[in-house]
Amino acid sequence: MTPRLTFKILRKDLVLGPRSSIFLWAIILPFALTLVLQVAFGSLFNPEPRLGIVDEGNSQITVQVEGTEGINLTLLDSVEELKTQVERNDLDAGLVLPAGFDQSVRNGERPELQFYIGGESYASSRIILTVTAIDLVRELENSDAPVTVDVVSFGTPGLPISVRLVPVIVFYALVMAGIFVPGSNLVEEKEHGTLMALLVSPVKIGDVLAAKWAQGTLLASVMAIATLMLNDALGPNWLQVIVVVVVAAGLSSMIGLLMGTFAKDSTIMFGLVKGLGIFLFAPTLFYIFPEWPQWIAKLFPLYWILEPIWVVSIMGGSISEVWLELGVAVGITVALIPAVAFVARKVQSQMAAQ
Amino acid sequence: MTRPVSRAAIIGALLKKELRAYARDKIYLFLTLLVLILIPVMFTFLPETVDEDLTLAVSPSISTLIEDAKDSLKAMGATDAQLAELDETDLAEQEEGLLLIEFGNAEQMQQVIDGTLEAWRTNDGEIVLRDKEAGEAKPENAQKLNIDIGIAFPQNFIADVAADKKDVTVTVYSDANIGEEIRGAVESFVREAAYQLAGKELPVTMADENSIILGEDRVGNQASLKDKLRPMVIFMVLLMETFSMASLISTEVLQRTVTAVLVTPVRVSDFLISKAVFGTVMCLGQGLFVLLVIGGLTADNWSLVLTVLLMGAMMFTGVALFVGASGKDFMGQLFYSMLLTVPLLIPSFSVLFPGTAAAWVQVLPTYPIIDTLVGAMTYGQTWADSLGSLAYAAAWLAVLFIAGLLQLRRKVQTL
Repeated sequence: MTPRLTFKILRKDLVLGPRSSIFLWAIILPFALTLVLQVAFGSLFNPEPRLGIVDEGNSQITVQVEGTEGINLTLLDSVEELKTQVERNDLDAGLVLPAGFDQSVRNGERPELQFYIGGESYASSRIILTVTAIDLVRELENSDAPVTVDVVSFGTPGLPISVRLVPVIVFYALVMAGIFVPGSNLVEEKEHGTLMALLVSPVKIGDVLAAKWAQGTLLASVMAIATLMLNDALGPNWLQVIVVVVVAAGLSSMIGLLMGTFAKDSTIMFGLVKGLGIFLFAPTLFYIFPEWPQWIAKLFPLYWILEPIWVVSIMGGSISEVWLELGVAVGITVALIPAVAFVARKVQSQMAAQ
Repeated sequence: MTRPVSRAAIIGALLKKELRAYARDKIYLFLTLLVLILIPVMFTFLPETVDEDLTLAVSPSISTLIEDAKDSLKAMGATDAQLAELDETDLAEQEEGLLLIEFGNAEQMQQVIDGTLEAWRTNDGEIVLRDKEAGEAKPENAQKLNIDIGIAFPQNFIADVAADKKDVTVTVYSDANIGEEIRGAVESFVREAAYQLAGKELPVTMADENSIILGEDRVGNQASLKDKLRPMVIFMVLLMETFSMASLISTEVLQRTVTAVLVTPVRVSDFLISKAVFGTVMCLGQGLFVLLVIGGLTADNWSLVLTVLLMGAMMFTGVALFVGASGKDFMGQLFYSMLLTVPLLIPSFSVLFPGTAAAWVQVLPTYPIIDTLVGAMTYGQTWADSLGSLAYAAAWLAVLFIAGLLQLRRKVQTL
């Protein structure tokens, strides 16, 4: 292996890389996923009861609901629209507050509470919204409640879903940039015959593989850090974050290299990613569902790179807490080198036979 | 000398070739089968029921609260009839969706909520407490309860509130992870119970429950995550096949084997038909396989589901034809595949969210496919209910399928 030649190939890959559509995807995907997962799907894992209000007289109840945490409020102009949305399950419940409702309650006139519940709403949502609405109506009376309620909380609040989704997004940054880019790049070189052309020059297969690995590691590191920054999860120990991210990118890139050397064409490369995707993705689920038995996550190779990123970057911990995980990740990376070399030698001899 | 060969025989031969090419690639075949097996396996782990109840612990039990209050209430002038009425109070039965767990003392309830003790309910309905740290065994024939919030009523709560005593305090114990809306609702619940006991009627009148529930009342009969995801999984299998089919086409186009095929009696139309048929059959076959494994076909919905499945398979084949003929290389083709399939994927996620999808999602070609699948498989929709969606899907199907065929023909003719 000649470092000078490796560097030249790396430079060529970095210059020509952005022309590849996969390179483009590797850059776009973390941003798109951040948008989709954090904005659109955040509410999927943490649904809040949805209440619609038609307020025809600036009721105090609307102001109170607006200030209530955990209730998703929609203000509407028409009673018919409210009923339609409740019936279509766009809202769990709807409340109509006619003009003068507050005064009517204060005067003791006992107006009818126009409260509608969606047939598809969950029983728990119905209870929460009904009891809350009645309590807010009671507050209009300005009378003291016959009981004082003290709330005692135990433990510390769990992490919000927006934080638990970060490993998923980082995973995609690492897979696209670390696995798919070097792997597909190598496969393309095989398909276009440029690899064979390179190998008849003084360049050795080791130089090519080292350059591809460095390309994947570099790109995956940059994309993983950009993803963490984008999700406000870089943490205070940014130098330590760089270390864990580089280790993660190194392992991802090594897996990409193994796939790239093994796959004889792009179809196989894609098939490998498609088939092994679930196996690689599995550990991210354990961050979304922390109540699952966490030891299972350790059975998957990418756990050993996601955990250090989780601890050091997302949770703001120290690198000393994840030496074991980092060691295993480096160990897997090193252990894959002979496998890559073996497959590469086989490929080289096949190409020579052609 | 050659004898004339029918078009059907030519197309049949091309289909055989497609099948051989597909089967020859052992790794690709293995991976396809792996995905087809893994998806149903993972599907089995999804929950089949919906837990829509709010679990609420109380201490002491309601019957104890009532018994404790009887003497005081009698002294305050309560009649036997009023006391008997109080006896019939059963909060758990009165509130649908409220699962009330009663504890003998507040300290035990607090320990369950803070996680020091575990609470299990046996098949007989008895609550058994377990100290896991002390090495106590799991109770047999019992289910662990997830209790995050509980109300500790003070002694003589009912009598004190009824007597309008001041400084009556109720403590709500809650886990810090519980939603603010639940904590707030339990506080409201306690206050309202006190108002009722104090004889302060609601300052509003409430309509009859039947008149305020809009739409079919599905409490106790909610669609589970498994029910919701079943159509989505089928849809995903169809969509994944787009990638495979597109790659098969692009390989043929890029390696120019199609030009070799076209110097034989095969016409471009034969080539297009064979690709369209093969893609549709592969797509439909895989979708059907997964559907049969994970279930979802019933005597009522099978014809509608299979029709939509066929339409979906044809639609994705059209996309695959277009994509396969568009890329300059495999990666380019993959780029186009993702560019086209990501928007087509969006409607499938809409089934996970309650309510109607946004207007822009409903415009997408795959929306009527997933909408009809969900309607037929989860909510028992019939042909009559789905005619509008089917017509819309058919229109998009025609557009995408023709676009795919035209793009592939153009590409083949220019090679």
